[in-house]
Amino acid sequence: MTSDGPPPNEKSLWRQFSDSRVLLLMCLPATLFFLVFNYAPMPGAWIAFTNFNYRDGIFGSPFVGFKNFEFLIKSGQLWTLTRNTILYNLAFIVLGNLLQIAIAIMLNEIRSAFFKKISQAAMFLPFFISAVLVGVIAFNLLNYDTGAINALIKQTGGDPIKIYSMAGIWPLIIITVHLWQSTGYGSIVYFAAIMGIDRSLYEAAAIDGASAWQRIRHVTLPSLKPTFIILVLFSLGGIMHGNFGLFWNLVGNNAGLFQTTDIIETSVYRMVLSQNNFTTSTAVGLYQSLFGFALVMTANWIVRRINRDYALF
Amino acid sequence: MKRRTIVKLGAALLALGVSNSALVAGAQAQDAPTEITMLTLGNKPTNGRLEAMLEKLNERLVQQANVKLDLFYIEWADWQTQYNVQLLSGDDNVDLIATATDWLFGWENAEKGAFLPLSEEMLKTHAPKTWAQVDAKGHWDLTKFDGQIYFMPEDNYTQYTNHGFFYRGDWAKEAGFANGEISKLEDFTTYFDWIKKNKSDVYPWDASASAGKDAILAAYMQSHTDLQTLQQVTAGNFFPFQTSAKDPYKVASYLMEGDELLAAAQLTKKWNEIGVWREDALNYDGDTREEFYAGRSGADQHHTQTYVTQIVNNMNTKQPGSDPKFFWWGKENGNFFKDIFTHGAMAVSANSKHPEKALEVYDLIRNDKENYMLFNFGIEGTDYVLTADGKLGYPEGYDSSTDGLGTNYWWGRMDEFEPPKTSDAPNKAEIIAALDSQAKDYPYSTLIVSKSAIDPTLAAIGGVLSEYLPQLENGKFDDPAAAIAEMREKLKAVGWDEAVASIQSDMDKWAAARGLK
Repeated sequence: MTSDGPPPNEKSLWRQFSDSRVLLLMCLPATLFFLVFNYAPMPGAWIAFTNFNYRDGIFGSPFVGFKNFEFLIKSGQLWTLTRNTILYNLAFIVLGNLLQIAIAIMLNEIRSAFFKKISQAAMFLPFFISAVLVGVIAFNLLNYDTGAINALIKQTGGDPIKIYSMAGIWPLIIITVHLWQSTGYGSIVYFAAIMGIDRSLYEAAAIDGASAWQRIRHVTLPSLKPTFIILVLFSLGGIMHGNFGLFWNLVGNNAGLFQTTDIIETSVYRMVLSQNNFTTSTAVGLYQSLFGFALVMTANWIVRRINRDYALF
Repeated sequence: MKRRTIVKLGAALLALGVSNSALVAGAQAQDAPTEITMLTLGNKPTNGRLEAMLEKLNERLVQQANVKLDLFYIEWADWQTQYNVQLLSGDDNVDLIATATDWLFGWENAEKGAFLPLSEEMLKTHAPKTWAQVDAKGHWDLTKFDGQIYFMPEDNYTQYTNHGFFYRGDWAKEAGFANGEISKLEDFTTYFDWIKKNKSDVYPWDASASAGKDAILAAYMQSHTDLQTLQQVTAGNFFPFQTSAKDPYKVASYLMEGDELLAAAQLTKKWNEIGVWREDALNYDGDTREEFYAGRSGADQHHTQTYVTQIVNNMNTKQPGSDPKFFWWGKENGNFFKDIFTHGAMAVSANSKHPEKALEVYDLIRNDKENYMLFNFGIEGTDYVLTADGKLGYPEGYDSSTDGLGTNYWWGRMDEFEPPKTSDAPNKAEIIAALDSQAKDYPYSTLIVSKSAIDPTLAAIGGVLSEYLPQLENGKFDDPAAAIAEMREKLKAVGWDEAVASIQSDMDKWAAARGLK
């Protein structure tokens, strides 16, 4: 905070506390959840600096400093992995939010209530399909010998394509699948935000002779800006965390595609867990979290410089 | 006890119609039976046969030691990972843990403290028969890490688990092989090619992603060199280090030196071009064995034990006249090993609340014939029948693909309790004799490689290998020579030499201690 000074009639902490006891009680479950699942395990990150063995436990195992982090650098993949993870997440965040906004606006413009419900439900459904099934569906669509796409190509006289050997097109496939799964769900938040926009703004715009497009451009979009910024900031916190289920089930162990599809999670899963090694996986997790933390702080700082009201803190 | 309570109890018992004998047994047992859970590998069977058998077995176990046994399965999907995660999660619901030092991370987990060290005292008191039998053979030394016993070995059971190709003699004959016998790895090119040209809806070898990580590469190495793989050291899911039979105390690797890897990669590239496996084999997760049984795959890859106990019988029933044959890696030059005695073993979880009871259960299953038969083969009449000549057979309409008992007890079988089976390959004795005449003893059973110092390096090596070997194995590189050069460079960069040096120093110490060097 800057030099605003305390408000003139500041209540004592205890007073504030007792005044808001009902509200505090209501947020107790969430607070407990974060304490138990996010804060309590934090000391466990110490594993990353030890040569962990089961008998001595987390804090009894010998300390080895940064040795566990060496493997990240040694494997020479740190750069590829970080790059892939960030680029995929950027694509998910930017394209995802734009598409969600577009869908929410289009839903809002649909006049038939029945059709609106149907389209919403249809877009929502893919969210409930597990990644394992998505992987199976993708394999049955894309594989060379019996896949639906190649069957179609063969039937029409073309040469089948080896999709599972073409690393170049996988970013496209993964992003498409991700958007297909998540857009319907994500658009709900924007749709709710649109519902919350003051109707009188639209009426005023209509009286001023604004077309439908102009109402969207000058009323809806600006009103969605705070929601957009908050959602983007939240998702930036997870920019170092990939959608493991999706990547693993689509790509699996096909090393031919790793160059463009390997993210931190899948790489760790392959090389660390099969190596029976908790320490290096914790090291990677810590690297991921610290990097993600730095990114959120930076993004928030930039937003605050532009418009303080939009910043998270 | 108050009178009312006694009356209530009596009424309850009467109402339940509890028989006299159960009452007596209950009175003898007094405390509720201890529940012991055994971790095993395999897909948990869903045909109800396992539960029926356990009910019978548990009746006996309650009588004998007041314990009940339950099984916990690590399923085959991603089993290496699942197994290690389960052990390191420190789950105290598991008491007995199936393990093996060559393929199931036994030493690694002993080193990490997942297993309870077993004192002689404990073994003598709670698993006396097992103790005596293993002791008589002098095999306890094979299970020691840092001077402590960590598992009970399956050291009294004859089997071969050396890998190779199962293939069809009928098709091989048509492809021009005399008697349908293929005797060289490279000759499979002819066999596969023939299938591709003559059987339109059959994959010559419908290899799946999990089966084909480096099998053919390693097979080629075995057939063309005298290199012997060090079964103690894994990097990821690979076994990267060998020694040469000529220079048995020097750590080497075909992945890093020599031309065999390239030659092998050229062979698999040729197979890939023929279309031996699916174009997308690296993403294909189907059940190759069932495809083979269904006549839709011309080959399958696994070991001798699978061949003599399952493949021959299933193929003869499901593909009559297919004349299933087995070609094992290293058949050309005799470069393969007998099973080590810790290829299957049982450990007690460091977190078990009842380690003594766990040992007792194991001792009872391993050494009591009736328990052994129940646990391994199920209930007589429904799961198996004994034929007039004393062979173990299966009841009418039994299909081993769906009706299996599925206890997968590979952690303490005993030759003397194993009846000959009608499902055994008729040529089992012949095959075993042929293997016996060629197989070498694995020289490094007692070598323990300390991995904690090189763990991160091995992880990094595993990472590099998982990128290149499956692609080489499936012939996916346009220029395998360039890919191998690139892989070797990367392996150097992640600390290959350091890992070799560390393993070498363990090897030197071990060899010196035994006066071998």
